[in-house]
Amino acid sequence: MAIKSERAESIIRLTNLTKKFGRVTAINNVSLEFSKGLNIILGPNGAGKSTLLRCIDGLYKADNGRVSVLGEDPYLSNGLKTQMSLLSDNYALYDHLSVIGNLKFFGRLDGLKDAEIDESAKRFLKELDAMQYINSRVYQLSRGTKQKVAFCRSVLNDPRILLLDEPTAFLDASASEVVRNFMLNYEKEGRTVLFVTQKLDEVTRFNGRVVVIRRGSVVKDVTIEQLYGSMLRDIDVSIRLATPISLKLAKSIPGFQEANSAKPTMVKIRVRDYKSINKVLSYLIDNDAYIASVDYIEPVISGLSSGKVGD
Amino acid sequence: MDLGKVLAITSKDMKEVFSSVSIYGPMIGVPSFFALILPILTYYVAIYAGPTLAEKLASIAVTSTSAVSMSGLLFINFFSVNVLGPIFMTMPILTASVIAADSFAGEKERKTSEALLATPVSSSELLLGKVLASFIPTTLLTVFVFAIYGTVINTIVYGTFQVYILPTLPWIMMLMASPFLAIATIGLVVLISAHVRGTKEAQQISTILVLPILIIPFISVLGIADLSVTFFTALIAVLFVIDLVIMYISAKTFRKEGIL
Repeated sequence: MAIKSERAESIIRLTNLTKKFGRVTAINNVSLEFSKGLNIILGPNGAGKSTLLRCIDGLYKADNGRVSVLGEDPYLSNGLKTQMSLLSDNYALYDHLSVIGNLKFFGRLDGLKDAEIDESAKRFLKELDAMQYINSRVYQLSRGTKQKVAFCRSVLNDPRILLLDEPTAFLDASASEVVRNFMLNYEKEGRTVLFVTQKLDEVTRFNGRVVVIRRGSVVKDVTIEQLYGSMLRDIDVSIRLATPISLKLAKSIPGFQEANSAKPTMVKIRVRDYKSINKVLSYLIDNDAYIASVDYIEPVISGLSSGKVGD
Repeated sequence: MDLGKVLAITSKDMKEVFSSVSIYGPMIGVPSFFALILPILTYYVAIYAGPTLAEKLASIAVTSTSAVSMSGLLFINFFSVNVLGPIFMTMPILTASVIAADSFAGEKERKTSEALLATPVSSSELLLGKVLASFIPTTLLTVFVFAIYGTVINTIVYGTFQVYILPTLPWIMMLMASPFLAIATIGLVVLISAHVRGTKEAQQISTILVLPILIIPFISVLGIADLSVTFFTALIAVLFVIDLVIMYISAKTFRKEGIL
């Protein structure tokens, strides 16, 4: 396929993109550019993340504005799809076909030979610890295994541009790690990975660009460091403790909100910014507490939903 | 157009239909049952119940055995072609509507279309693949059911009258009209698939085509039209034109995102 005009830095370009469904505006005048490497879109439910990916993949026609991938309109260019792959938020597999039946079907549509499909499918399924299900019907599989098979399908055609919608949803820790390593390897190979998630925890595992969207509009376009600096303000964090502490100690923590019991193993604290978290943790450590984890995901995501996002 | 992709879609859709007994079971079982039972009932009515009913209704004593036999044979001949034939002509409509609705609207309902449309498959490849997936099993099943119904009729008639009454030319032409009915149904499903939410809606709307077919036995019994070779030639010609129009509009208006 001939690539018309590919700028070195910009693989995907959205110009004043608007997508509506009836009266609902899912994407509202978004202009963005994505280059090679790992790009993340973060946003709460209903922010328009999946719609954005579908517009980039050419599944939806833009109501206004323009989408350009490798210099072409993905809605009009079928050939572009040989270089692009989409993992949707539902696994989108045929329940009554076997795992290998599904992979062969999609592989054939991608123009691959059966031998190539067999080889790649077995390799990916082994890596994701799902090889034992190769001949199982999809309806017999757990949600997590379906997600693994769907991920195999999305990388089967060795895409240059990989669009992933919540790729680690429903996966166990080990499979999630394999998927993350895939993404990192793709980044190292100079491919373009664009993945959307609603989990800040997922985002912070990478060190890349993060676009935050809410209600169809871009709220932020930042690095992970900037994200911490701008978003972790006046938020609640949950601190899990490996051993219980006294309620008196819990209540003495600056910004204390609530504890999970009279002998707390988890306390909720309100902090001004991410630097305050260190102070709280130091205070706890100085008082012989053992920290298991610090969790700040939910408050940030709910903040995004309500528009409570720092500048 | 890549025929490999077309066949991959056809094969996948057919595998899906025939891997679920809840879809293919009623689709094959019900018409096969009727193909067996309706000719037997026709024979029973013609030979045993017919003369008794005639006596009751018209107060006429049917005494001649040869008259009973002849009228029975004529009744079976008329009923098996002019009444049962059109009933079995609804088969391609009902079967095609089930398969096509599952193929087009089913992708939308099960949310599998997103992955399908993310592949480099063109609208024409997708459309042809799915039309074939509905057309091939529908046509084969119709031929199968006509064969059962014809064989049962011939077997029971031969046992009593030592003659075979099928196939007649109008009966063969009824069978020949079936693929045209299947194409019209599939075309209609394609047209409505973008506007419905699931298979049930698509199926219900497309089965509207059954109604004109069910009028045929009545116009025959009432003597409004003779189900002759000329009648079926005209029917096939009209269906051919309807198919061309429906498929042209379907192909022109079919948008892949319609099944998203």
